[in-house]
Amino acid sequence: MKHAATPKPAPPPLLSEYDANDFYCEIMGLDGLPHTQDIRNRLNALDVPAMRQRARSAEQELFDLGITFTVYSDRDAIDRVLPFDVIPRVLSPDDWNTIETGVKQRVAALNAFLHDIYHDQHVLKDGIIPAELVLGNDDFREEMCGVHVPQGTYVHICGTDIVRDEKGAFRVLEDNARCPSGVSYVIENRHLMMRAFPDLADGISIADVDSYGAQLARAMAAVAPRGVSYPTVVLLSPGVYNSAYFEHVYLAREMGAPLVEGQDLIVENDKVYMRTTNGLEEVHVIYRRIDDAFLDPEAFRPDSMLGVPGLFTAYRKGNVTLANAIGTGVADDKAVYAYMPRIIRYYLNEDPILENVPTNICRESEGLKLTLDKLDQLVTKPVGEAGGYGVVIGPRASKRELRELRAKLKKDPANYISQPMVRLSVCPTLVGRAIEPRHVDLRPFALTGDSTWVLPGGLTRVALKRGSLVVNSSQGGGSKDTWVLV
Amino acid sequence: MSSLLARFAGNIFWLGRYLERAENIARILHINETYGRDDPQGPDWRRVLRLYSDEQRFLEAHDDTSPPSVLRFYVLDRNNPSSIAAAIAAARENARSVRHLISTEMWTQLNIFASEVRTLGQRDLRVNTLSSAANLVVTGCQTFEGIAEGTFFRGEPWCFYQIGKYIERADQTTRVLDISFDRLLLDKDDAIALVQWNLLLRSVSAYHAYRSRHPGISRPHDIAAFLLYDSEFPRAVALCVQRLTERLQDIETRHGSRRDAGVETARRALEFSLETGPGSELTPDRLHGFLDGLQVELGNVSSAIRQAYFV
Repeated sequence: MKHAATPKPAPPPLLSEYDANDFYCEIMGLDGLPHTQDIRNRLNALDVPAMRQRARSAEQELFDLGITFTVYSDRDAIDRVLPFDVIPRVLSPDDWNTIETGVKQRVAALNAFLHDIYHDQHVLKDGIIPAELVLGNDDFREEMCGVHVPQGTYVHICGTDIVRDEKGAFRVLEDNARCPSGVSYVIENRHLMMRAFPDLADGISIADVDSYGAQLARAMAAVAPRGVSYPTVVLLSPGVYNSAYFEHVYLAREMGAPLVEGQDLIVENDKVYMRTTNGLEEVHVIYRRIDDAFLDPEAFRPDSMLGVPGLFTAYRKGNVTLANAIGTGVADDKAVYAYMPRIIRYYLNEDPILENVPTNICRESEGLKLTLDKLDQLVTKPVGEAGGYGVVIGPRASKRELRELRAKLKKDPANYISQPMVRLSVCPTLVGRAIEPRHVDLRPFALTGDSTWVLPGGLTRVALKRGSLVVNSSQGGGSKDTWVLV
Repeated sequence: MSSLLARFAGNIFWLGRYLERAENIARILHINETYGRDDPQGPDWRRVLRLYSDEQRFLEAHDDTSPPSVLRFYVLDRNNPSSIAAAIAAARENARSVRHLISTEMWTQLNIFASEVRTLGQRDLRVNTLSSAANLVVTGCQTFEGIAEGTFFRGEPWCFYQIGKYIERADQTTRVLDISFDRLLLDKDDAIALVQWNLLLRSVSAYHAYRSRHPGISRPHDIAAFLLYDSEFPRAVALCVQRLTERLQDIETRHGSRRDAGVETARRALEFSLETGPGSELTPDRLHGFLDGLQVELGNVSSAIRQAYFV
């Protein structure tokens, strides 16, 4: 007769050892959020080894599906995945209502602002924002002055980077009004999550994210040139070597639109055509994932191999629509950002629904002084850099880094802004053999043709290094599925 | 619905060609290794070099034609554009460009398959491992083909995929026949001849098909006629050309792309050669000239298609 084995002690609930360290937690709140109770119970029924097992197969699936970005070396192409964390970030219906209305308001203000600065420039004449900040900006495109864009829409696709402070209040960190990327991960993360953790979401009502492609196609059709009832929409990509190529493929497929490169397009008589197996076919709307500077070697950078000669003239004449419009970069500039609350009030006569992070503008003497005085307490950012590069986090910087920054600030103050350190919210994250708090942000995506629609949720990026505040994928960031409860 | 982008037509054509090529190379290596051992002289690897007219190119970079270096050249060498490694990598890159036009299942399988092929190394070329490596490649290509059969939307992209596949397949069959035929005729020893015939048939997956068509004693002419003209053998040159013709017609009549005079001329020349045939008195020289002509004409069709649709 066999002896009955001593029963193993049940593994501790998954979140029992979790401590958010006084940060606002997206799952626990400050002291337990009622809307995540159900999800917490389900998470607690899992143990770490089971989570790790499922996380591994989810990651393998990303490789198999080729949801990767490719890093090229001399000899080889290496596929990398954006690390995916399996514990979702959860937003309540109220949270989402704030974000959705706030993003719509912000997009409306951005479009009004862009239309104004490329036409009558009231906002400059009324002294709401310094004229040199706009007109002297590298991303201000003088060529766009007086150009009509359909529906007055400049920012068709907008990604708004939002963080949550230690009290749980949402604040806008940055607007991305050029070619914001990452939306494909929102949708793929959801699919992955539903395959890896069907039990976690079972019976919980989560807002659907699958309609993004159809909404994008709708928005693109709404901004077709006048008189075109059945517009041909294409997605213009820099090509397979671009790190976001997977997303371009994904969006083209979701829209049912051809995925073209510059070499596939040609301009004749100020109209844009694509080369097909059946000869030239006219193109009406271009969702372009190429920066302004590379769009048209005749109008902008002459060395661009990615662009289409003559495209800008066709655009200016209204024969083709570009999404986003040319010249939107001036609106998501980090220095212009500081004026967004005033811009919102100026055009919409409303208070901002989503607050900015308070910002010191170093081009103004008062802002520079404040920044230099508290360099070791502030986050200082160069205004012309993307991807988190050049950001100095005062409390974590070495004396030498601060000394170097001080010199740079004095030399070129207009290139910098500074902000108080926001104590970013955290979310439980599977790290090695434990569940630990990691900082997150959120990038909702807004689509605007004749009206604005916001994809429920958005991309939750997570800084996987302990204590890190930098969520960018180029610097050790990953992503999570974002659940908007309905 | 808008027409197919010219560049994508090319990508899909090459996707079909490269996978067909990799499958054929792998099968030939596998068969040469496995069944070539029946030959008293052992597997003849120069035969494979002759088959692809690669002797000169190979000898420029290699000192000898030892089995390991020939195998390396055809399996692993990324600098050889018709190695398995290069063909599968190129197939994947082409698929990546048209990923939005093929099914997710096709892409996923090819992506996993390509990463398996990337892990192949010297250790997979040994006597005891080559067969399973070759098998991995043949099975991977055939799996892709099966998934395409079941999931690939039958629009214009599919037509170009089929066209690429059939041009490559027809070309591969002519090469296998060409390189083997002289030995079929010259070997007077029946036992050796039988080994050669079987080897040839297996190189194009024709062994069982041929046996059911021609039970009993085989003559070289029957084998040649079977590989060139059998209307039920899927790798027969005439059947490939017939499928190619049908897909070209589809492109024009069902998908609205324009008829191209250059393609039509090249295709008719190919068809005419096939109909005329190598003549009744089949000598190695005559067959060689005939097959050479077919290869040139397949190449002409391919360039005419490129001119008409891919640029």
